[in-house]
Amino acid sequence: MAENTFMGVPRSKIPWAPTIDYEKCDYCMECDDFCPHRVFERCDGDVQLVVANPENCVVFCRACSKTCGPDAISFPDKPGIVALIKRLHAAEAGPVSEGAPAAQKEGAK
Amino acid sequence: MSFAILACTGLDKPEGSVAREVAMRLAERAAAEIICPVVLNRTPVRYKDALAENRLIVVDGCATQCAGKLAAAAGKTPFHKVIVTDILKKSGFTLEPELRLGPGGIALAQAVVDAIEAAEEAGAREVAGSGSTPAGVEFEPPSDFLVVVHDKYEFRVPARGFFFNENDVWVQVSGGRARVGISDYMQQRLTDISFVDPPPVGATIEQFGEVGSVESTKASFELIAPVGGTVVRVNEALENAPESINEDPYGSWIAELELTSWDEDQALLIDGPAYAADVTRKAAED
Repeated sequence: MAENTFMGVPRSKIPWAPTIDYEKCDYCMECDDFCPHRVFERCDGDVQLVVANPENCVVFCRACSKTCGPDAISFPDKPGIVALIKRLHAAEAGPVSEGAPAAQKEGAK
Repeated sequence: MSFAILACTGLDKPEGSVAREVAMRLAERAAAEIICPVVLNRTPVRYKDALAENRLIVVDGCATQCAGKLAAAAGKTPFHKVIVTDILKKSGFTLEPELRLGPGGIALAQAVVDAIEAAEEAGAREVAGSGSTPAGVEFEPPSDFLVVVHDKYEFRVPARGFFFNENDVWVQVSGGRARVGISDYMQQRLTDISFVDPPPVGATIEQFGEVGSVESTKASFELIAPVGGTVVRVNEALENAPESINEDPYGSWIAELELTSWDEDQALLIDGPAYAADVTRKAAED
């Protein structure tokens, strides 16, 4: 369970991963050489690199994009992700406060 | 102080052409020696003295960082370092698509030159006296450590007095002030740290924003801020001795912040024992 959480929030609920702009990517593979978490995967064909394991990506890490000469890697808007995590974190930490008003409503009926 | 400038040749991308223009403008103003990266790569001995005797300014066009990598290969820690694409993203400049610079490229080059000079002046002012830690605020070195053992590695985590985010950045708090740095686990992952780029003094940083970066021969690591606040001091000692982070990760703070909302920030951090568990899990996955 602890394996796939970030700040107590299930990793699968956090959409943080790189996006490759194939118009710019020149397949130098610097990003893949750098990333120790196997986020990228090389393949044969027109597209030679894909984001195969987005959930392996370390939330808030953008180090691969800093190796990218053609500037082909982008990440989601960070403040938006922070706000989402804070919301989910509060929900995970306090299901009681979330559930309480609903329970009261039930009782009132 | 004399300078040597190692810059992109500017023959691959317009951002590189800007780097080249920056180098020429800096050299005109400040009687500095320009180092050609191609020659340095081919015949390092040619610039042995220039690198040994001067402070080095590295100007890269893009994130490939050819100049920065050549400096690292030559074993020289840059005094100042810029990447044109980073500045381009933060500024409102538009760059013409040609290698030969147009008015936009020239204006950007001048802005980069101005920024480098302003940073140097600010640096000189900081050394002259600003940014002290108020009396009564003390940051005690950690005394008890939890040790995570993995294969031949040992990762130390202060048992108390430090908090962490899951991005391997620590924070130590005392009287409304906080110091931040990177954990023992992360410094060992990065290996030999060769450059520290602290956040600007006076900058307001949000929790989980960027609070500087460090570079090793292996990777560049952006510090994710464990707390929000205003940067009041940076650890100038690291400028000339970035390797201190490898030697003493919990004493080698990178920035000191005036906290804005510690109670709120703390709720999203983990303590020493929880971070030790996080390191145990990460080490097993590596």
